[in-house]
Amino acid sequence: MGTIIEAKEFSYTYPRRENQVLRNINFKVQEGEFIAIMGRNGAGKSTLSQALDGVIPHLHGGTVWGDIVVDGLNTQTASVADLAQKIGIVLEDPEAQLFTTRVDDEMAFGIENLCLPREEIIERITWATKVVRLEGYWDREPTALSGGQKQRCAIAATLAMKPKIMVLDEPTSQLDPIGTYEVFDVIRSLKEEYGMTILITTHKSEHIAEYADRVMVLENGQIEAFDTPQVIFRNAELLSHVAVRPPQVSSLAAYLNSYGQNIPRNEFPILLDEAEQMVRKLIGGK
Amino acid sequence: MSILDYHYGDSYVHKMDPRIKMILLVVLTIVVFMISNFYVLLGMFALVMLVWKTARLPLKNILRYMKFLLGLVAFLVTLQALFFSSGENPVILLHPIIPEAVPLIGGIGTIYLDGILFGLILGFRLLTLVSIMPVFVMTTTIGETALGLVKLGMNYKYAYMTTTALNLIPSLQDEAKIVMDAQKMRGFQVFETGKLMDKLKAYTTLAVPLVVGAMRRAQLMGVAMEARAFGVHKTRTYREVLHMRTIDIVSFVIVFLICVLMVVLNIMLGGWF
Amino acid sequence: MANPIIQVKDVSYCYKENGPMCVNKMNIEIQEGDFMAIIGQNGAGKSTLMKLLTGLIRPVKGQIFIEGEDIAKVPVSIISKKLGYVLQNPDRQLFAETVREELAFGPSNQGIDEEEIKRRTDYILESVGIAHLADEYPPALSKGDRAKVVIGSVLVMEPKIIILDEPTGGQDYIGRYQIMNIAKKFRQKGHTVIVVTHSMSLVAEYCDHAIVLCNGEILLQGTSKEVFSQPEILQKTFIRPPQITELANRLKDELKIDETLLCVEEMGDRVLEHIPRKNE
Repeated sequence: MGTIIEAKEFSYTYPRRENQVLRNINFKVQEGEFIAIMGRNGAGKSTLSQALDGVIPHLHGGTVWGDIVVDGLNTQTASVADLAQKIGIVLEDPEAQLFTTRVDDEMAFGIENLCLPREEIIERITWATKVVRLEGYWDREPTALSGGQKQRCAIAATLAMKPKIMVLDEPTSQLDPIGTYEVFDVIRSLKEEYGMTILITTHKSEHIAEYADRVMVLENGQIEAFDTPQVIFRNAELLSHVAVRPPQVSSLAAYLNSYGQNIPRNEFPILLDEAEQMVRKLIGGK
Repeated sequence: MSILDYHYGDSYVHKMDPRIKMILLVVLTIVVFMISNFYVLLGMFALVMLVWKTARLPLKNILRYMKFLLGLVAFLVTLQALFFSSGENPVILLHPIIPEAVPLIGGIGTIYLDGILFGLILGFRLLTLVSIMPVFVMTTTIGETALGLVKLGMNYKYAYMTTTALNLIPSLQDEAKIVMDAQKMRGFQVFETGKLMDKLKAYTTLAVPLVVGAMRRAQLMGVAMEARAFGVHKTRTYREVLHMRTIDIVSFVIVFLICVLMVVLNIMLGGWF
Repeated sequence: MANPIIQVKDVSYCYKENGPMCVNKMNIEIQEGDFMAIIGQNGAGKSTLMKLLTGLIRPVKGQIFIEGEDIAKVPVSIISKKLGYVLQNPDRQLFAETVREELAFGPSNQGIDEEEIKRRTDYILESVGIAHLADEYPPALSKGDRAKVVIGSVLVMEPKIIILDEPTGGQDYIGRYQIMNIAKKFRQKGHTVIVVTHSMSLVAEYCDHAIVLCNGEILLQGTSKEVFSQPEILQKTFIRPPQITELANRLKDELKIDETLLCVEEMGDRVLEHIPRKNE
């Protein structure tokens, strides 16, 4: 497994604007990693996810410094078509990214653009449908699906292009808890069963603690921290500085400490199991 | 549901090759424009309604639309009745209120039977015309329409731009309603209790949020399409295959022959009634 | 008990003629000054119920009273004097040139004088955290900021009842805090606040009462505590409990918990009670 995404001194300014929304971004992502991008609204999360798949600067214009290399392709020089086969993006608003009148049309749209033969198109959308568990929905109208189904349909539409990397920009912000769970479950299977590299922007800390290998924290267009969820979520100063909420169980440990307990920072739980162990240890130690 | 939305179904018209549907759309439209005889027009209208019935589309939708159009028809009839005076058999129903000697507006008030009839035909033609397009839109998916256009020789980029733009129209209607609702909920009373002129003025203020909304949507849609490699190759492939079935061709020939018959009848009967 | 400020009597509504009922024979009473949560899955009928309250749609059967007045014949713009509703999607609710004008739109429709409008606008700009954006063009703002402007534009009308539909969706930690805090302030001033939400922790943190909807019917109704003490029924609505609740459930025997805990603080206190003291 090697490096699949590398950003080198990447900065970006939107057209007709002066301030840089992304500043000197440097990072590497390994193949098969699950990366969460967190930070307050306006920190540059969406811009970064669009820069990764070449929508920036190809579609929006603007000024770019530095490079982002995705699986050997430089996002600035490679064509969007070549990039689309390496990296797929799912946007926040499910409504806006579904533009056909049938679920199967929606899923086929991308691979049709890649000029694949008909048999392969059908084979691939059958596969994508299975991955996102939307069997039996082909003749439905995308806008008539539930929120979670819409978002899974959008994932399948991208998935059918068989990218190595999936970028998901706030895919669950408009979903109810069950829709959120469905979508995260699908995303996890993409990583675990199909070895895909995942980058996701979200505010849902508990899900991130459970699924992500590493968390990238953006603040004011710069990378403030990039480390494992354990390290990030235990760093209270960092979290309050960047307006990221820790998982509830980490807050519990902090609360206990404020009432005289001495739980070491590096043992703060971020997962349910860890928290259960911690509490048992605390109350059991007679 | 709007009459410009795709309407799910598996009727014969739904399954028809979109190319045939498109050509028929054009043929029917032209023929309706050509016909001036009221009875022939009535026949054309019956034909279009027959297609609605075959497509198993709810007639309720078109009726609602027609109610709106009736106002326009009434306006046309009144206008023609008042100002149309060069008919061959001017039947004077009402004597002029204003003496003919008065320049410019002299003679207004004379109502000609011809004018009313001409207005009726104009209105009825309009009614027939607007019932043709929805049959196509309600029975054909965007994918089929685009593919049909491509097979008829259109560049696929233009084909998709046309069809997705068409798809935005019904959502614009919905959005106008949402904006109006939002304004009402902020205490804006004009839409509910205002005078007609105030209402008209208020409708123009809807334009800004609607255009902004449509542009935002179009931009996002552009990003989503681009991200799925739209427009990167000169051609693209299609999952769907168009089948020109025998029955499609037969129905095309039948409808076409009826149209020819209508045009011939129109020439033979001549005039309006 | 005083008369309820909102009374929903046997109300039914369906979107399609002869279609399934989205709201089925609902009976609800909301007291003045309450902080009420409406929870349920997408499609449970939450937004439909709220639209009925605002008059945007009218019940097929049943009646709705606001301050004892049947609203059946009252136009939406008049109901809005008493009841403010913030729709979920901010994009179609912005029509002014600047944020300040956006906020002033509602009050000026109500005929409030300039000075008072300015006072209220300044207050909302500050408390929702958008003061620095006062002269910006609303549609050009980020999504989180647009949502704040929309919420502010309803709060500024100071209606007796405020309905917030999913106010924290897509908001970051600070945005959520600012929005809920101002709702809390309004509540303290005696306004009635209704929040439609998926977030159980939000309900636990802010709301006194909760109504759980499922398939157009009321599944549970009561104080937030009472509602959360029915985990089996909640499970049926597929509402996933917050992480802290799951932790409390796992440890309920050890910590002798016989109710549903939702806040970190509550859980923390329980744990503290059971930690044996040293040197004793």
